[in-house]
Formats: sequence, C-alpha cells, structure tokens
Amino acid sequence: MVGSNKTVKVGILMIAYILLAAVLLCMLVPYLWMLSSSLKLNKDVFTFPMQWIPDQPRWENYADIWTKIPLGRFIYNTAKLSVIVTVLQLLTSSFAAYAFSKLQFKGKNALFLGYIATIAIPWQAYMVPQFIMMRSMGLNNTHLAIILLQAFSAFGVFLMRQFYQGIPDELCEAARIDGLSEYGIWAKIMLPLSKPALSTLTIFTFVSTWNDFLGPMIYLTKTELKTIQIGLRMFISQYSAEYGLIMAASVISIIPVLIVFLGLQKYFVQGIASSGIKG
Amino acid sequence: MQNETILGTRKAQKPGLKKNMKDHLVAYSFIAPNFIGFALFTLVPMIFAFVLAFVKWDGANPMDFVGLRNFSRLWGDATFHKALWNTIVYTVGVVPLTMVCALGLAILLNQKIFGRNAMRTVFFFPYVASLVAVAAVWNFIFSPTMGPVNQILHTVTGLPLEELPRWAADKDWAMFTVVLFTVWKNMGYYMVIYLAGLQGVNPELYEAAELDGAGAWKRFRNVTIPQLAPTSFFVLMILIINSFKVYDIFINLFAGADNQLNDSTRVLVYQIYNTAFRSLDYGYASAMAIVLFLLVLGVTIVQFRGEKKYGQ
Amino acid sequence: MRLKRFLGITLAAILAIGLLAGCSGTKGNGADTGTQKPDNSAAATSDTGGNGSDGNDPVTLKWALWDWEATAYYQPLIDAYKTAHPNVTIEYVDLGSTDYMTMLSTQLSGGADLDILTIKDIPGYANLVKQNHLEPLKGYIGEQGIDTAKYGGTVEQIQVGDEVYALPFRSDFWVIYYNKDLFDKAGVPYPTNDMTLEQYDELARKMTSGSGAEKVYGAHYHTWRSAVQLFGILDGQHTILDGEYDFLKPTYERILKEQEDGIVMDYATLKTSSTHYSGVFYNNSVAMMNMGSWFIATQIEKVKSGESQSKNWGIVKYPHPDGVEPGTTLGTITSLAVNQKSENKEAALDFMKFVTGEEGAAVIAATGTIPAITTDEVVNSISSIEGFPADENSKAALSTAKTYLEMPMHEKSADIEVILNEVHDSIMTENTSIDKGLEDMKTRVQQVLNN
Repeated sequence: MVGSNKTVKVGILMIAYILLAAVLLCMLVPYLWMLSSSLKLNKDVFTFPMQWIPDQPRWENYADIWTKIPLGRFIYNTAKLSVIVTVLQLLTSSFAAYAFSKLQFKGKNALFLGYIATIAIPWQAYMVPQFIMMRSMGLNNTHLAIILLQAFSAFGVFLMRQFYQGIPDELCEAARIDGLSEYGIWAKIMLPLSKPALSTLTIFTFVSTWNDFLGPMIYLTKTELKTIQIGLRMFISQYSAEYGLIMAASVISIIPVLIVFLGLQKYFVQGIASSGIKG
Repeated sequence: MQNETILGTRKAQKPGLKKNMKDHLVAYSFIAPNFIGFALFTLVPMIFAFVLAFVKWDGANPMDFVGLRNFSRLWGDATFHKALWNTIVYTVGVVPLTMVCALGLAILLNQKIFGRNAMRTVFFFPYVASLVAVAAVWNFIFSPTMGPVNQILHTVTGLPLEELPRWAADKDWAMFTVVLFTVWKNMGYYMVIYLAGLQGVNPELYEAAELDGAGAWKRFRNVTIPQLAPTSFFVLMILIINSFKVYDIFINLFAGADNQLNDSTRVLVYQIYNTAFRSLDYGYASAMAIVLFLLVLGVTIVQFRGEKKYGQ
Repeated sequence: MRLKRFLGITLAAILAIGLLAGCSGTKGNGADTGTQKPDNSAAATSDTGGNGSDGNDPVTLKWALWDWEATAYYQPLIDAYKTAHPNVTIEYVDLGSTDYMTMLSTQLSGGADLDILTIKDIPGYANLVKQNHLEPLKGYIGEQGIDTAKYGGTVEQIQVGDEVYALPFRSDFWVIYYNKDLFDKAGVPYPTNDMTLEQYDELARKMTSGSGAEKVYGAHYHTWRSAVQLFGILDGQHTILDGEYDFLKPTYERILKEQEDGIVMDYATLKTSSTHYSGVFYNNSVAMMNMGSWFIATQIEKVKSGESQSKNWGIVKYPHPDGVEPGTTLGTITSLAVNQKSENKEAALDFMKFVTGEEGAAVIAATGTIPAITTDEVVNSISSIEGFPADENSKAALSTAKTYLEMPMHEKSADIEVILNEVHDSIMTENTSIDKGLEDMKTRVQQVLNN
C-alpha cells in the first residue's frame, strides 16, 4: 500500500513537472523572441516564417542603443526615481496601513473604502488638472513631480493593510501590555513580520515606476531628465520604428528589475510562525 | 480565552474620552504622511475632475456649468454603452481566471521544489516586460494567416485557414484573445501577492489539521483559503479595478496604425481618453470616469462587507 | 474627530475650487488679451523690422517638435536662422511622435512656455485653435506681405473662419513607389504617370505571382485609413466630412476584392503582425505601394545602408479616378504656429516666417524633404539628390495637379476622424459588411455634426 502510494506520488510529481515545463516554455517564448529580435535588422523583425537564430546577428544593436539616445543617463534617472519612490512608498504605506489595520478611530472604514475606490479613477481623467496644478507649483520638469505623484499611493496602503490583517491582533495587544507605544509596535513587531509584504510592495513599486511612461512623458520634457521608457519610444518615429533597437533596449531595461526581484526572493520563505505566536 | 482577558483588561483600562482622543490622534498620525501627500497631489485633482463632470470644458477656455447634462447624455450614447459592456465582459473573463491561476502557481511554487526561485522569476517575467514588445510577439504568434498558432491548428485539424479563428482581428475572438493575454501577462504579479500571503499562514494550523486526519484538499479548503482571505480580498479588488481601468493592453494588442479600437474592442478608458483629448470634452469624459468610480465603489463595498463577515 | 476629517475634505475641496476658479480666470484673461495682442505684436514687429536685424538682446525660443533625432531638417533650419540672427537661441522640446498633438495640447493647457509650435495634423490643429492656444496670423501675414498663394492652396484649406493660425513648411503628397526589378523580371511595363484606379488594379493583378516566401504582391496598402479610404475623394465630388459615405463603397469593394484574391496582403495580418510598409518594400515582396512622399528620403538612405534590397525603384503619380487630371493626389501638411501666450512673440513669428518661407524651403529641400513651397528649384533640388531614381517619370511625379488634404479642416474633425478610423478598421478586418459599416459611419458622424 505504502509502495503504490509512493509511485502515485512520483507519477503526479512527474506530470506536474512536465506540465510546468510546458507552461514555462510558453512564458519564455516572448523573451526568446525579444532576444532574437534584438539581434536583427529592423526589417527582419516581423517576417514570416520566424527566424529564431538570426543568420547574421547584429551585435551592433547593443552598441547603437547607447549612442543613438543617452541611454546611460536615462537609466540613471529611472533608477534614481524608482529608488526614491520605493523608499517613500514603503515608509508611508506601511505606516498608514498599521492604523487602518490595528487601530480604532472614527471614520476608519469610510476613509479606507474611499481610499480604495480612488484607485479606480483612471489617471487619464484627472491628468490635465493635475498637470495644471503641478505646473503652477513650479514642479514641471523636475524629478520631484514624478516622486510626489508616485510615492503616496492608496495601492500601497491597501496592500500593506491586507497583510497586517493576517497578523494576529493578540501580538499587538501583548506588546501594548508590555508598554510598547504604537510607533514601537509598528517598528519592532509589524515591520519585521511583514517582510514578504514589504518585498512585494518594493517589487511592485519599483517595477511600476521603472516602467512608467505617461507620467514622465508629460512632466519631463528636457532630455537630461527623461527616463528609460521614453527612451524606448524614441526609436519609434513618425514614419518608422526601429524594432531591433527597441528590443535590445528592452532587454537591457529588464535587467535591473530582475535583479531587484531575485534579490527579494529570499523574503518569500520566512514563515510568520517562526516568530513564535501563541495560537 | 486569552484574547478575551486581554481585551477585557484593555477595556477596563480606558480612562474615558481623553484617552480615546489620544488614540485617535495616534491613529491619524500614522495615516497622515501618506494621506497628506495623496490628498495634495492626487485627491485634489481628482475632486477637480469630479467637478468637471458638471461643466463643459475644453481644457483651456472658461467652463460652462451644465448641471447633469453630461450624465443624461451617457444614457443615449451607444458607443459608451458598448465600451461599458466590453469592459464588463473583459472583467468577468479576466478576474476569476487570473485568481485561480495565480493562487495555483503560488501554492505550487511555495513548495520546496527544484528550481523554485528561477520558476517564480520566469512567471513574473511577462509582467515586467515592456508591453509594446510582448503585445507585438503575442499578435505575431496569433497572426491569422501566417502565425504559428494557426499554422499548427491548420496542420492538426486540417481545417482551411479561413475557417480558423482570426484571434485579435476577429470580432468574435478578440475578447477571448485579450483575456488570455491578460491572464498570461499578469498572473505572475498576483502570484507574488499570494506568495507573500502564504508566508503568513501559520504552519501549526496545517499540522493540527493533519493530526485531525484532514487530506490535502481539506487542508486547502479549511486552512489555506480562510487564512488567505485578506490577500484574496486584495487580489480580487485590484484585479477588478485594473480590469475596469484597462487601456494599454487593448491599445497595444488591437489598435491599428491609426491608434483606434473598434466596436468589439472599445473599452471605457479608451472612450474617456478620446472624449477628453480628441473631442476636448473634459466634462463628458469626467462623467464617464465617475460612472467607473461608482461601479468600483459599489463592488468594493459589497466585497468589504463580505470580507468582514468572512473574517469573523 | 469627524470634524477633523471633514475639515480635511473641505480644505481639499476649497483647493480644488480655487484651482478651478484660478484656472478659468487666467484662461479668460488669455482669451481677452488674445484679441488685442495681434495688433500690439504686429506693431512691435514692424518696429524691429524697421531697425533691421540689430537684435542685440539675446532671445531664447522654445520650439515644440517631434522626432528630433530622426528628422534631417531641424538642425539645418536652426543653423541657417542663427547665421542671420546670432542673438537668437533656439531650444527644442521633443514631445515624441505618438500622441504628439495631445501632448502639445496638455503642455499648453498647463501653461508651458513654448514659443513655436509644430502642427502635426489637422484635427490636432483644430483643437488647438478651439482652445485659443494659437496666435492668429492674418494680421502678421498682411503686415509682412507673405504671399499665401505660394503654398498651393493649403493655407486656404486650414483657414478657420476668416483667420488662419499656422503656416505650412512641409507638404507631403501621396505617390506610387514601385520596384523596377520585379517589373523587369515579370516582363510587365512600368507604371506610368497617368493611371486610372482601374488600371492600377489591373497592373497590381498582373504583378502578383508566386507563393510562400517567394510570393510577390502586386500592391500594398498600409494599415492607415488614408491609404485605402481616400481613393474615394480624389474625384473631388465628396469630402469625408459630408456625413454621407455611400460614395466610398466602390473603393472598399475594390480593395477588399484585391485582398480576397491575394493581390495585396490581408489587412488583419498586417495589423496583427505590426508589419511596417517599409519592410515589405525593402524585402522585394511588393511590386507597387502607395505611400507619402516622406518615404523618398528614407528609401534613398536605406538603399545606401544596404537595408533596402529594392535598389532599383521609381515613383509615379498617384492613380486617379476616370476623368480626373493626373497628379491629383492626397496631401498632408506640417505647419508652424506661435503660442498665443509666448513672451517672445515677435521673435517667434520671425522664426516661423523664415522656416515657412522660401529660405526655409531651400533648407528643407536640401535634406530630401518636400517643403510647402514647391518651386521648380525645389523639385530640381530633390530629384538631383544622389540616390533619387534617374528616370524622367520619377522626376515628373514630384509635381502635383491638385492636392486634397487627408483630413480637411473642420471644427469637429478630431471626433470625425476617430469614427472614420474605427469603422474603417471594422470594414477592413471584415468584422462588418461594407454597407453596414458605411451606414454606421453615417449615423455616428451625423450625430457629431448635429451635436
């Protein structure tokens, strides 16, 4: 009995792995295509039948992207914005989320619902009023504008609040009895316990700031301030699009994001129980 | 039992209104940094946009107050109805499928299996990638006459190419194609949220359930699901909101050289964008945005009640 | 505590209302001064004009444009202007080509300090005029004695009421590009400068051959609406602003038939595979292609770099309906305008006058682009560029008889364009029948026109 149970388990595992491998391939196809296209001439990018390995790989594409546009500058700008926005976002969101999750105050639910619902308003609907306002504050063509727009989002608060919901209230109560202030609880208990959530928020904020296009497009019109997504679009001009170069620059632009993702992976394994909660 | 005593003692300690006031102030101080920034730079323009729904404004000249006319216009606007309908169909298609896939992936990749980190990264890939690039590949692969998908279908089924679905270019298959694309592109994102949520599930609960003789399904049903309730609420809300707000995906997947969608692919935000920036009718665009806002607010309230009930 | 929250919300509301009032207030002022300013600035310009080009005060002008890197004539224009006006510095603001007009309108609504504005398309122009962002030019044109007849009637076509708010500096028109090698191989005579639409269709059918990777398509229509639909307006009987679209039926029938017969690539495939027209032309897979004159410079350059394998090519005049003069074609203009709120209006106007004038035209033509003022000199200048086809027909194809703007000026042209594009897409992907599509076009456009 035990033996057959084991073979069944192995069989299931095998099937699972084969399935997973197939799915993984599906996920990777676009990347392979991107890589392959990044080594092609523009006119050969969209030709049938697909050529996965170009006859004459154009490694020049990877050199050209640095000279045709100030890619180095753009990467620096984007990295700077992404890091600042992420740090601010983490701090203010986890702070506010603590109140929404673990403290009682009047108007909590209404405020929280209002917060979430504002996420639903498409940016296109208030983009112009916002731009007029920011300009009147003299923030046009400054990185500060992008930082202020991105750093205080309802999304971050919502995400952190949901994770704090999963942390037992008893922990906070116990800490209060031990004489810890609310700020102390936030810093000493909630933050260390919410590493997976903080990592998630870091990844999401970093990616969305990194990939943001419309915001920088409107607020940053000076070349020396522009970001990498605007840079990518620079290869698309009115009458032509340099897809080979776009793909090469896309490949480069993904690398930092992947580093962030891989670096934060290790926080997705620590169980909450290891910190010893009484059931 | 212990809970009650703690709560009890705490209640007894409350020295009345003063303490209550201080508690509130502390709570507000937590919210303040985010809220002030949010209110100044996002909420104020949003309120401004709300006001716009009651005026006629072209983005530059003085505004005219028109009362509820922008809203009454929505009733008779067939293109808006079509856009709303398409958006709802899309949302209904995307939300459950993404949730199931994301949760499944998260549970699978939370096990100690070979190459776990690499696999998580691969599934997150599509979300990170530039939309312009992946939409181009996707369309290329699903291209009606020469794309590999239809070529394979043609070989396997023997059906002539004309009878096969034309995917993104086919009014009957467009929605299916975009739902599939969205699930593929975004499931890694929600998988990450679920993964983080799973780290918060107390393993002792599993052990206890196992001791009670619960099988895998029972453990999933009785431990994982309830423990993940706050995460699922979050995933569900963000999924619904993002589906209602969809724009970029449709533009990149469907829009032709003239940047237009058609009757079977028109969505709300496209309609808002065109109304505001092409027709310079900011008031009418704002009215549409308010409809979107109210829809989401309604869904949020229902869900929020559900979450509270479920949490008890 | 409820009070506190209430206070916060009220404060936000007050801020918003203040913004609202402040904004509409300034806009109101802008509109008021807008009507007075032309006189002032005209007077001021004639003053400085009298003093000659002394221009001791340094001036910096900001020029809104797109595709700085990819456009050959921006820098030469600035350099040429600077030699005559060393005190003027011109900075460019590149707003990108996708959604350029939306971006420009947003920047101007926010009060951006742009001085010179490049106008990319007519619907966007109509919107900027509506928003009062553009300086009226009639007064200035009269003052400076600018002869608008030189622009071949295009200035009249962008008039709004009695005013005009922009002057064209670049004018592109549609021609047929063809691949001589493919014609030689098939033993078919080259297309001519006088083809009717039926003859073009016939020729395309004759030139279609092969299958699979060897397939040669007789013609090629890019996925823009203008590449297909606008054959219908060449007879001058209708415009696309009419609100009646039955006249487009023969055009759609002809093109869809070609598509069905495999004479041209399928629209849906082209669209989903992001196929760019230049690629198929470079790869020798189409014999003929209707495209704007902007492609001349690109094709010359890509033949030189080796990317275009269609080395032996030529151009001929656009095919025309029966009984219409050859050389009747579609056109699109790129213009310059001046920001009504510019602080350096005189200088900006002067720069605009230079670029849109004959001196500017010469500079533009030298880069292989067709300027708005096309004199014989300009035609010669372009056809003598190295790499331009040597045959006489190609040179003759550069002169046009009558040019219809791709999108005529209309207060609602932006709304109408959206509808036309959407329905065009439905018809071409065969998601709707021609009849139903045209009916839909009619209903929706009428609704816009009557609104």
